[in-house]
Amino acid sequence: MTEINCEETKAQVHEFVHNELAESEVQNILGHIAHCDSCEADYDFEVAFNSVVKRSCDEAPPAELAQRIIDRIRAINSGAEQH
Amino acid sequence: MTETALIDDTLAPLDSEVMTDSKAPLSSDDRVREFEELALPYTKLLFGAAFNKTKNYADAEDLVQETFAKAFKAWHQFEKGTNLRAWLGKILENTYINMYNKKVKQIGQDSLNELEDFQMGEAVSLTARASRSAELEALDHLASKDVREALQNLDEKFRMVVYYAVVEGLSYSEISEVMDTPMGTVMSRLHRGKQALHESLKEFAAEEGYDVTPTKEKKAAQKANRAPKADR
Repeated sequence: MTEINCEETKAQVHEFVHNELAESEVQNILGHIAHCDSCEADYDFEVAFNSVVKRSCDEAPPAELAQRIIDRIRAINSGAEQH
Repeated sequence: MTETALIDDTLAPLDSEVMTDSKAPLSSDDRVREFEELALPYTKLLFGAAFNKTKNYADAEDLVQETFAKAFKAWHQFEKGTNLRAWLGKILENTYINMYNKKVKQIGQDSLNELEDFQMGEAVSLTARASRSAELEALDHLASKDVREALQNLDEKFRMVVYYAVVEGLSYSEISEVMDTPMGTVMSRLHRGKQALHESLKEFAAEEGYDVTPTKEKKAAQKANRAPKADR
């Protein structure tokens, strides 16, 4: 494990949260966070922030859309619409 | 890239690996059944992306329907076992461009992308802030419509990267494929898009009476708010 500082840790918060880091980088961050409250708070915040955005974007398609798509595909398949 | 090249690209399989087994072509009814079984479950995901692009239900429905129609016509080109979600996402992106004629200002985009990458060093996370707990509490109480509004106020290319990464959970490389954008650009747009979103949400929170903007941050906040518009 390599020791990294706060700046390096904070700079990788998005990549960490989005699972874009190599295992060794993850270990370095976990090692840092274990003894740094400031960075740990940042990481916690980022996770919470993502979940707030995620839960706010839950537009469900109108019920009839699925049927419209199926009708369209079958129309294409039967030659009613040119390929 | 010409318009034609873009369309062809849409229909090409994302994964360059060529399948070695040559199967007999499906009967047309089997093709419908297979498409319905494999592709249609992505309707909700595509609708979410479409809604974030078009910002209204009617256009989002049209866009999703058009995307599936194109995908079905190109179904024989999809390599089974490769990433269907990314394949459909890419068709949606290109369908949107064609339907809404958004393919303007593509020229010169490459140099702008380089600029974005160059600026990445500055794109520090949503960090170095005081009173995390106050912010968290404020965020938690924000109405979904405020969060959506803040997201929709972002410039499209930032908005969609944030949407794909945060809401759909696509990987950087999937976003890169779907949006036909280099990985470094995806990263910088995610960083800057989230930073701008964060600042904008803090404004909503402040309007709700939460004290989430210590004075020392104000300058940084103003800078961040400007940043996403710099490369229009």
